Amino acid sequence: MGKMTKRRLGNSVISAFLLVGVIFVPIGLASLSASKEIVELVDRYDTSCVSVADKVGFIQNSKTDKTCTRTLTVPRHMKSPIHIYYQIGDFYQNHRRYVKSRSDKQLRYKEAAHLTKDCEPEGNTADGAPIVPCGLIAWSLFNDTYKVSINKKAIEVNKKDIAWQSDKNNKFGSNVYPSNFQKGNLVGGAKLNESIPLSEQEDLIVWMRTAALPTFRKLYGRIETDIMENDQLTVVIQNNYNTYSFGGSKALVLSTTSWIGGKNNFIGIAYLTIGGLCIFLAAVFIVLYMIKPRYVMFPLV
Amino acid sequence: MASERPLLTITPGASTPDEAPSPRPPAASQLPPAQPEPPLRPDRLAFSVEVPDPFCPSRRGDGPDPSASSQREREDDGDGGESRAVTIGDPLTSEAFPGNSIRTAKYSVLTFLPRNLFEQFRRLSYIYFLVITVLNQLPQVAVFGRGASVLPLAFVLFVTAVKDAYEDFRRHRSDRQENNRLASVLVPGTDSEFQPKKWKKIRVGDVVRMASSETLPADMVLLATSDPSGVAHVQTVNLDGETNLKTRYAKQETQVRFSQNGSIGGVLHCERPNRNIYGFQANLEIDDNRVSLGPSNIVLRGCELKNTTWAIGVVVYAGKETKVMLNNSGAPSKRSRLETQLNRETVILSIMLIGMCTTASVLAGIWVLNHRGELEFTQFFREKDYTTGKNYNYYGVGMQIFITFLMAVIVYQVIIPISLYISMELVRLGQAYFMGADKDLYDESSRSKFQCRALNINEDLGQIRYVFSDKTGTLTENKMEFQCTSIHGVDYSCGKDTDRYSVVVGDHLWTPKMAVKIDPQLVKLLRNGGTNKEAKLVLEFFIALAACNTIVPLVLNTRDHKQKLIDYQGESPDEQALAYAAASYGIVLVERTSGYIVIDVLGDRQRFDILGLHEFDSDRKRMSVIVGCPDQTVKLYVKDKLQNGVPEAIESLRQADIKVWILTGDKQETAISIGYSYGTSLVYILETELQEELFELATQCSVVLCCRVAPLQKAGIVALIKNRTDDMTLAIGDGANDVSMIQMADVGVGISGQEGRQAVMASDFSMGQFRFLVPLLYVLYTAFTLTTAITEWSSLLYTVLYTSLPTIVIGILDKDLSKATVLAYPKLYGSGQRDEKYNVNMFVLNMLEALWQSLVVFYIPYFAYKQSTIDISSLGDLWALAPVIVVNIQLAMDIIRWNWIIHAFVWGTVSATTICLFVIDSIWVLPGYG
Repeated sequence: MGKMTKRRLGNSVISAFLLVGVIFVPIGLASLSASKEIVELVDRYDTSCVSVADKVGFIQNSKTDKTCTRTLTVPRHMKSPIHIYYQIGDFYQNHRRYVKSRSDKQLRYKEAAHLTKDCEPEGNTADGAPIVPCGLIAWSLFNDTYKVSINKKAIEVNKKDIAWQSDKNNKFGSNVYPSNFQKGNLVGGAKLNESIPLSEQEDLIVWMRTAALPTFRKLYGRIETDIMENDQLTVVIQNNYNTYSFGGSKALVLSTTSWIGGKNNFIGIAYLTIGGLCIFLAAVFIVLYMIKPRYVMFPLV
Repeated sequence: MASERPLLTITPGASTPDEAPSPRPPAASQLPPAQPEPPLRPDRLAFSVEVPDPFCPSRRGDGPDPSASSQREREDDGDGGESRAVTIGDPLTSEAFPGNSIRTAKYSVLTFLPRNLFEQFRRLSYIYFLVITVLNQLPQVAVFGRGASVLPLAFVLFVTAVKDAYEDFRRHRSDRQENNRLASVLVPGTDSEFQPKKWKKIRVGDVVRMASSETLPADMVLLATSDPSGVAHVQTVNLDGETNLKTRYAKQETQVRFSQNGSIGGVLHCERPNRNIYGFQANLEIDDNRVSLGPSNIVLRGCELKNTTWAIGVVVYAGKETKVMLNNSGAPSKRSRLETQLNRETVILSIMLIGMCTTASVLAGIWVLNHRGELEFTQFFREKDYTTGKNYNYYGVGMQIFITFLMAVIVYQVIIPISLYISMELVRLGQAYFMGADKDLYDESSRSKFQCRALNINEDLGQIRYVFSDKTGTLTENKMEFQCTSIHGVDYSCGKDTDRYSVVVGDHLWTPKMAVKIDPQLVKLLRNGGTNKEAKLVLEFFIALAACNTIVPLVLNTRDHKQKLIDYQGESPDEQALAYAAASYGIVLVERTSGYIVIDVLGDRQRFDILGLHEFDSDRKRMSVIVGCPDQTVKLYVKDKLQNGVPEAIESLRQADIKVWILTGDKQETAISIGYSYGTSLVYILETELQEELFELATQCSVVLCCRVAPLQKAGIVALIKNRTDDMTLAIGDGANDVSMIQMADVGVGISGQEGRQAVMASDFSMGQFRFLVPLLYVLYTAFTLTTAITEWSSLLYTVLYTSLPTIVIGILDKDLSKATVLAYPKLYGSGQRDEKYNVNMFVLNMLEALWQSLVVFYIPYFAYKQSTIDISSLGDLWALAPVIVVNIQLAMDIIRWNWIIHAFVWGTVSATTICLFVIDSIWVLPGYG
């Protein structure tokens, strides 16, 4: 916007503004209404699920019962498929130490099990055997579990196809099996069934697609039945995952979907604002043009 | 005659200037017994008689006997400078002096790598990139892969080196051609056996025989010529840009001796090599006589022998000691103003960078401090290696801050645009090509097209404020045509057809080279040969035109061997125009020697003896010649010179608010009166505090003429302006004497106003770089650990390809005004001059704009994908693609003239980026895979 140009305020400029406005406003309206359609339930459970004062001690103790039951009321009719996410707050999956701590070759090729250089300090066991999958990301795999029932009736949570098909096919080998995983002194998270190849470990695959931002959601599974308005939703949580040591948060999210993805009003509002501004400017220029049809200085963006 | 002229002494070191104006120094009376001087034509180089002879003892006021002064004494003589002794025909005694090979190339095969790298690393940013690259090799801080980080710097260095190597290769080639030219050299020990010898093998003391039209291989003292009186004509166009013939003389002593013996011996004592092309002092010991030699006895390397069948000279200065080479102060690497500005902004940006890195590392330190107790069990940090129980890759807060700082430097390095340097190189190459291909810059008469010799100053062409011109001729094409005349009050001005009058000489037909429009009425009057008064007057008038000049007719061969062309060579273009005009009316000057001229008057060959000649000077404003006519009468022809009109070119430049300084060594008639009062004082001015006054005075004027300026003085004047103002200077010149001036000025030889595209460059500079803020902002969301969302390959491609390609194409192809508009309204040039397109304010504004755009580019995706399942590489791709789109759209808005190539590149870049992102993400070996 550094340049100002003296130009005859002609039809082309006004129509450019009008055009942008006319395109943006409908897009904004459509996005906003799609976002409003989406029913989203967010329930933060990390604090209320641990009643003792020493939360870290509680979560680190393998003997304590970590079952926690949450009851939610559905405000509006939720159409299937309903996505279940877990949302973790202040977990820097994009931390430099963390995001590099993986071996893509090892995840894909059976012969590459020894390539654990980038995975330290979670590359090899104390006696030098390579850990598969190695690295901090895999080591810290999320291990809370959810059991959902509607009106006291248990509902199946479909955990198939929660990962990207391309990841399953191309990034995780179908002949690579977990080994030496989670055998160290400090257990970071979930353990893996050593008889299932990595390409079928969808929770791991989802987890290893590291989040861009420190508060993120990851797909846990799907409910393939509709939930009616005012239904009682009961979720039995195994609250295993330690977010307490670093002051993070955990939440359970249930959401319907539409073409816009998840619930987000921002895009719609942004489009509406820009489009509205353009129409407003076009109107101002039209008025100016009608009052004084002459040269006007305006910025050449 | 010549002595009436004020004298400008331009001998640095040799004689002191304050003695120069004295018309006849006492030394003259002490010269050896009067020799029969050659017929001394009043030539401006003929002021040798006035130059005090430094070897003459009387100047020092000691011994009266000149021969008593030994060479050693002379060398000790601080006033006269040291001298060198040259034995004629015996190069072996002069082995100590440098040979005749020259070298203008900057590099040799061995020195190319270190010197070129040194040149390149003069750019601050290259050093910066080097530091970054080295930093990235440290395993603790490596952000990008090692190879990937070396690549951009290596690429830029390589491209530049290849370009420089090619340029230097061409210089080497021309050096080699020059050095391997052949000259006919006397075989030492023999009397008159001349053999061809390569120029580079010629030594001081060699006797060289030159034929007509040959270029002289070294600075030589003339010994003998084909003319019995010892006259030789040389053309010094390569030396000082003057196309007229100059007369040089062999001393009668040597001339006579040569015609008698066929060989010449003797020892020549001459001053040490210096840059003064108008001065030369020497004496020759021959047959126990001492003959003093002056500037009119020396012919310089680069001159061409003309109109003289042969000449013989002895080499006194060879190779790099020749005057022409001494005046060529080596080819410096010029840096354009934009480049200088870029370097300065690189410094600003570096400071910003350090600020950013400090902020990031301090914040990272604070974060670590705040989470100190938690780090052990924090999954994404994992302070300890539990197998050993020790800290893993963690050395405390201080070290964490330091490492973060270094990593931040690497991540944020994109703030300094390497792509801009590549773009600039390529834009210049492209501009040079298109300037060369410009038909309007093609000179049909010389079949030469515009050549861009130094590629790195194109963009300065739009910013010139001072033009230093070699002479009006350079600007005005040095051509004059006879249009109309008034004879005895009668106006003859209806010249219509061009006609050529030919003269029959033997069985050849001689035709003047240039045709002039003629007035049929005048022709009729002449041809009828009437006896009336009017016809007689007209005839006299044309004979005067043909006779009263210093023109030397040259006869050129044409393809038709019966047909020959007469080319008039003269001191000034107006003389030429008049002689051609007379020739067109049938009064053809056919031959000129020092004693007589032959004029073909309407088919009747007449010989006029020249009894006396008074050349043009500014006081009389006319030239006179007294001739003895064939009919035994003596006539005095007096001719008014045409006033050189104030050239329109200067007027146009003035309108464009460009200050024109004409610095000339020539005695242009228009310049002469101003030049005399000015020129004499220039020597002092340049050396004293008067500089200030000269500058004050001269900058008030829009046209300044400096006359009789020696090459280095020209450079001195240019340096004066350059040092005292920020304005851009351009020097135009066509001779070697302009070389130092051209090299001193910001822009050398100029061309018509093709505006550099600073605007595009500037906006690319900031716009393209605003992406650096995306990783900067991202650091806020990675616990200040500098994780890069954009893969290193995207980063690389971004800088090298995505944003620089369209910029390059636009930089080359886009013009903000059509050529016709610029030529019609020179005032428009002002916008470039005032740096409107690129100055510091612009820079700040551009950076603010970039800040705003980067905030938008970062935060719109951020808010749109907040609390979603978005992963790093998806969001990173978005952040990589969005700036490319924004940059190209902004670029599109800057473009003034669209054509299909620009369309293809702008939109092609956007789609290419998209495709590249897909490819990077979907190919297994690439890091973005996923």
